[in-house]
Amino acid sequence: MTFEHIFRLTMSGLTVGMVYALIALGYTMVYGVLEFINFAHGEVFTIGGYIAITTLVWLGVDDGTPIGTKVGYFIIALSVSIVLTALLGWLIERIAYRPLRGASRIIPLLSAIGVSIFLQNAIILVWGPEAIVVPTSIIPDQFVTVFGVQIRLLAFVIIGSSVVLMAILTYIIKSTRIGKAMRATSQDMEAAEMMGIETNKTIAFTFIVGSSLAAIGGFLVAMYYGSLKFDTGFLYGLKAFTAAVLGGIGNIPGAVVGSLLLGLVENYGVGLKLGGLAWFFVVGLMLGLYVQMIRVPARRKKHIRDEVRTPEYEAQVVNVYRFPIPYALQTALAPRTDALLSVSARHALRLFAGNVFLASMAVLFFLNRDFQFATMWQHAISFAVLVLVLMFRPAGILGEHIEEKV
Amino acid sequence: MADKTGIMTPVRQFFSRVPRWVYVLVALGMAVSVPLFEQAGVIETLWLRVGIRSLVYVMLAMGLNVVMGETGLLNLGYVAFFAVGSYTTAILSSPRLGHHYDFWVLIVLSTVFAMAAGLLVGLPTLRLRGDYLAIVTLAFGEITRITFNNWESVTNGPGGIPQIFRPQIFGMNIDKPSEFYYLVLIFVVIVAILLTNLKASRIGRAWNALREDEIAAEHAGIHGTSLKLLSVVISAGVAGLAGCLFAYYQQFINPTYFEFLQSVLVVCMVVLGGMGSIPGVMLGAVLLDGLPEVIRQAFSKWLPEALGAETMNRLPQAVQTFFLEFDRYRMLIVGIVIVVMVIFRPEGLLPDKLWRREVHEEDPREMEKTRQKLFDFDEGHRDLEA
Repeated sequence: MTFEHIFRLTMSGLTVGMVYALIALGYTMVYGVLEFINFAHGEVFTIGGYIAITTLVWLGVDDGTPIGTKVGYFIIALSVSIVLTALLGWLIERIAYRPLRGASRIIPLLSAIGVSIFLQNAIILVWGPEAIVVPTSIIPDQFVTVFGVQIRLLAFVIIGSSVVLMAILTYIIKSTRIGKAMRATSQDMEAAEMMGIETNKTIAFTFIVGSSLAAIGGFLVAMYYGSLKFDTGFLYGLKAFTAAVLGGIGNIPGAVVGSLLLGLVENYGVGLKLGGLAWFFVVGLMLGLYVQMIRVPARRKKHIRDEVRTPEYEAQVVNVYRFPIPYALQTALAPRTDALLSVSARHALRLFAGNVFLASMAVLFFLNRDFQFATMWQHAISFAVLVLVLMFRPAGILGEHIEEKV
Repeated sequence: MADKTGIMTPVRQFFSRVPRWVYVLVALGMAVSVPLFEQAGVIETLWLRVGIRSLVYVMLAMGLNVVMGETGLLNLGYVAFFAVGSYTTAILSSPRLGHHYDFWVLIVLSTVFAMAAGLLVGLPTLRLRGDYLAIVTLAFGEITRITFNNWESVTNGPGGIPQIFRPQIFGMNIDKPSEFYYLVLIFVVIVAILLTNLKASRIGRAWNALREDEIAAEHAGIHGTSLKLLSVVISAGVAGLAGCLFAYYQQFINPTYFEFLQSVLVVCMVVLGGMGSIPGVMLGAVLLDGLPEVIRQAFSKWLPEALGAETMNRLPQAVQTFFLEFDRYRMLIVGIVIVVMVIFRPEGLLPDKLWRREVHEEDPREMEKTRQKLFDFDEGHRDLEA
């Protein structure tokens, strides 16, 4: 494990993470406004990429085209893709989601799944089940040497353009009228409506922005890997959704943080040659420790009864969660008479047992030959992260206010 | 909904006046007669195979209905339990690891393992709300598939497990399609009876209450978590049973049988037929699995025979390819069906009473009907008192 290795993994993690972020923003914005998971977003992303590639093929770009014309053509392809994909996003909202507003929770999700399946098969019908290949790359596929490590130029392009797009998005949401309307709608739709905000238009705008970002993401992914397949969007969509949940769904900076984190975790996971189930338990252990050491103590501290609220006692209760092992031993050896602390220490015993279980399972799977070839498990990593985040901390890293809704 | 069209009302009334057991007998008679027709040479063996697959889907749809229709929890990884059942049977009854367990043992083991998987998935996730639960189950489903795909030493990875032994029941070897058909049919009937009874029982009513209003149900003394867990476990068990039969019938399984699309297909069957309604989901499963085959056969064989090849060739090219390559359009249509059903008829084709009421809560006609019913009820009481 050299510096070069780690640096390369980090860079590719950041690149993939940025693409996830572009998709995750669509999920999280829609969730913020409508509180439902737009399952079809992954397919919107794929279609964005497909449209861009098709436009390029149609324009007749190849490796021989002079660079000036090429840039022009790429801008045309990207614009066409953005416009059409935004239109698609708007149409989806109009046809499949708007009639269901106010229905019970499970219903719009079903509709979204239907749309997703429809779009995936529409792609197969229109473009065929084989992968579609990008005719040429706009940026010569060169490597840049940073700190003595060769990194693909495209990686920097992807990271740079994503940062610019996020800055624009932040500007739109923070400083424009429609952004204000979006924030108001996501806080309370009824109240926003009473204040004269046209919520339907705002929601449509949210879908348009989300779809445009997804289209750009699709274009960048197509450039990076050189091809796209009809089911690319399913996996990317799920991973982006995972990232959005990890960061705290409905929270825009959270989506970016979660995406970068997920990209890094995935790439390190592959780099460390750790299988999927081992990852499941390692991540579970990490999250469990995080919850025990930071989340639970803070909560317990709040709930300690007034009459016992001495600083020493508070510290003791908090320490039970921070250092479960000694307290677990304590209860095992001599049950405390102090009721609250005794209960907490028993809880500590349980936490400790859980951690031991997770850690031993991780080691078990780590040692098992079948579970070691990491690339096969790459997709399982994000699923594992998703399950574990939803189990331990459904509100995600940055999302606080969602917690009671989950 | 019901009295929107004047022409349909008498028809509807006629059909609703026929007692329920007549429908059950007709459906059962139709199901039983398929192999007889095959033996008589009226239909080909192909239809028997379609029938077996449809019956397996019927069982899956009924199982998913427990968790999705009765308890209102969307499960997008349902096929994972099916996979657990299938792999249990395949591993313990094939030359792969050299085991050859008895049919009855494997039926029980598959069901129990699937139930255990359901417990494992359900325990940590059930405190999540509807749509999150759906995504988590999806993730669990994918993890299961990836695990079966990569756990080479036991499952043989993507290569799958071939040569699963034929089942032996009471010394009788089951290897003809018609025998398999009856075997699966018997299990479908058993499961249907059990689930119908369960639906009407205390547990079933508690599930419905949880679906309609969880907080109110818990205040009425229903233990939410354990009942939800029970519904997940039972539905997983049904899927495991279906998986066992599927593995025996197919004799070869690999992870591609258990992809996400299968889960979506089963979800679509439940939505199409009517969430919470057992005859509904059976109809949905048969429609979505059997109908595409019928359409394809109709266009590749029956219509040309009936009309002659020239007439067929005169049809527009697009129509011809559409029907000949119907398989390619199948999932597309499934997607459209889900969206259309959810928007225009969320209670499904053969709706469950409770679901219909729930879906049309805001519908003034439905409310008027309920009011009328309550009024009649009141009048009746007064008459009785008088």
